[in-house]
Amino acid sequence: MSETPRTIMHVDLDAFYVAVEQVRDPSLIGKPVIVGGDPDGRGVAATASYEARVFGVRSGMPLRTARRLCPQAIFLRGDYRAYGRVSKLFHGILRDYSPIVQPMGLDEAYLDLTGCEPVVMSLAGVSEAEVATPETLGSVAGKSIRHRVREDLKIAASVGVASGRSVAKIASDAAKPDGLLVVPFGQEAEFLEQRPVRDLPGLGPKAESELARQGVRTLGQLAALPESQLRSLFGQAGRSLAQRARGFDTEAVPADRDPAKSVSREGTYAEDIVDRQVLLATLRGFAESVGAELRRSKMRTRCVTLKLRYGDFTTITRSHTLDRPAFADDVLYEETAALLDRALAEDGRAVRLIGLGTSNFTDDSVQLDLFNSQEQDEEVLLHNIDRLRQKYGRRVLETGLTFFDENSSDEDYSPDRRTGLSSQIGLKKEDGR
Amino acid sequence: MNVSCLQENLAKGLGIVGRAVALRSTLPITSNVLLASDGGRLKLAATNLEIALSCWVGAQVEEEGAITVPARLLIDFVNSLPNEKIEMTVAPRSRQLKLTCARSQATMSGVDADDFPPIPTVEDGASIELDPEELHTAISQVAISAATDDSRPVLVGVNCVVEGDQLTLAATDGFRLSVRHLSLSEPVSESLQIIIPARALVELNRLLPDETDPVVLQLNSTRTQVLFRLKNCELVTQLIQGTFPDYSQIIPEEHTTKAVIDVAEFLRETRTAAIFARDGSGIVRLQFTPGEDVAPGKLSISARAEEIGDNLSEIDAQIEGEADKIAFNSKYLQDYLQVLEGGRVAVEMSGPSRQGVLRPVGDDNFVHVLMPMVVQW
Repeated sequence: MSETPRTIMHVDLDAFYVAVEQVRDPSLIGKPVIVGGDPDGRGVAATASYEARVFGVRSGMPLRTARRLCPQAIFLRGDYRAYGRVSKLFHGILRDYSPIVQPMGLDEAYLDLTGCEPVVMSLAGVSEAEVATPETLGSVAGKSIRHRVREDLKIAASVGVASGRSVAKIASDAAKPDGLLVVPFGQEAEFLEQRPVRDLPGLGPKAESELARQGVRTLGQLAALPESQLRSLFGQAGRSLAQRARGFDTEAVPADRDPAKSVSREGTYAEDIVDRQVLLATLRGFAESVGAELRRSKMRTRCVTLKLRYGDFTTITRSHTLDRPAFADDVLYEETAALLDRALAEDGRAVRLIGLGTSNFTDDSVQLDLFNSQEQDEEVLLHNIDRLRQKYGRRVLETGLTFFDENSSDEDYSPDRRTGLSSQIGLKKEDGR
Repeated sequence: MNVSCLQENLAKGLGIVGRAVALRSTLPITSNVLLASDGGRLKLAATNLEIALSCWVGAQVEEEGAITVPARLLIDFVNSLPNEKIEMTVAPRSRQLKLTCARSQATMSGVDADDFPPIPTVEDGASIELDPEELHTAISQVAISAATDDSRPVLVGVNCVVEGDQLTLAATDGFRLSVRHLSLSEPVSESLQIIIPARALVELNRLLPDETDPVVLQLNSTRTQVLFRLKNCELVTQLIQGTFPDYSQIIPEEHTTKAVIDVAEFLRETRTAAIFARDGSGIVRLQFTPGEDVAPGKLSISARAEEIGDNLSEIDAQIEGEADKIAFNSKYLQDYLQVLEGGRVAVEMSGPSRQGVLRPVGDDNFVHVLMPMVVQW
């Protein structure tokens, strides 16, 4: 824990996917736009423009509901490749301001600006006196970042600045749309006091309803709960939750180089699937994209996990520890396929969602096998495939399984055009928030 | 039954057969030890159904008989007695063993000897005689390379091939390989190949240092079991059925670098490096630099643990060929260096991702192949 107050910033792009679409097609500006896919399908709204939000549409809402609320909305499937490109530029801008940037998805990130005064001064063109306090440093950097994002990307960014991550995040939410809010250091508790508990990052709907039952609706009330009650409600996490409700959040922004703790991919089918071949083909595709991510990060995994969600939303996970750390697509696929067969033998109902996860990583060093001299050649092959795909796209090379699989997607971040298998790759850092 | 023997002899015999007692078994009687009069001696036996150990102790037999009693109880009790005569009696039709030694007495509830799993009699098959000292060395050198997990059953075994006047023992866990040749005093007429569980050989190895006479390896006719007959003990083990991998092609015939190193120094520095390696993936890095003019060649041994620290030491080495580097699992390297009896070792290699071949200098009968680890240098 450091004694000097840290300047933590949370930057969040406003209605990101819609904003990118509006840059590409200015006729969409000022209209209710929802990105997420076919409104008759069962996907969810990824982003809604503020014009659509007026009608009560929220991200994460089933598209059918969104359509009912706002039938005049323009529904877009979304071009995740384009969003990925813009996101890269966005994070690039942030890295100009601080070396410690923690991306939280495509359109938001935490920055630790502590000690970044000289950089901020030169980028914002201000004098030392103007960044003398943590608050002014954050405010100057926030203005400058918002300006650059608007100039370079034509997108509005909302910025929150505070002494810790939770408060910074709540501040950026409060600043939306297109605003900047600096919470004066030392006044975090007052800032949070009247806010609803759900504003606190990491506090889910379950905890919220539990707290509501206890009559706790604001963060001020949460902060005032006795420790014993917090422990009985949230266990070990209760203490830190209360501290964060008081605006006390010492957890550092992990530097970007912190390796991921898990890499996974999962997707929901447009229709529940019983056909084992389809499930296997999807797993194969996931194994390839997770494998590529592991190789890119120079990591091998010791543990693979299969996740299945059945039509009735019962969700199971099955894990297997590997004899030897691996990053080969074949290993990931074969191990999860074996888990799938075992899971289907126990419960062969139709599957709504399938996922492949990896965790417990080692570095890239590996013990070679005496009897498998092909192993190294196979790794060279994998790296070459990765390079080809990076250059020409995923479909440039296909295995037999995914070639005939309509659910296999063109691009890691895109929901499939034909069957609506929407999937995403997830990288989890130590901090699960 | 009424049998008497010296505490010292009984304790020693129980120490031997106690190794075969089942620790956790679904068949409760396998955690017992069998005591039986046997032609003027006391026979002790135990089995975990994979291996069986029998041992004969000099005794005075007043009345023939047999019983089984819980091994742990008997062993602990006998070990606590003074070295005097112990009298063991079982009353007719009783299942209680009564022990008397000096002024101590004990009674133990047992199980009828007829219920004890029969120790297989192994005969009819081929047999060879082996020098106990050579066998002891060979087993230590080979057993280190056997697999400890059952994922490939043949690899927990030691492959034994008898051809002409030579016995070749080989074991591999897929990452390292030990091959050891032994010469037989008499050539065999028929070659044979069996896979003996390494665990059984490790048990045998505990008994060998006391032996002076040749050890007899006896097969049964169906080649499913093997018996090792020692002076006062016998070990029977099930053999592993399956095909042992053909290891001949994975011992490279050529190399680009060869280094000759003092074993004691090499082991000491590997152990030091292993302290740092244990927080990482157990990797020690070896870098070989040939000597120039008067400067001797050197081997630098290093290890590093992310965010913890690193170490580097150098030892002299006689190096032929190019400068080279290779990384090994520190445990594998230590296992190997520990079974060498001092002297010098030659390391032959052809780059950081090809197998290293290690041979003790002056002993052509033992070859060890170690697969490297691929690391970022």
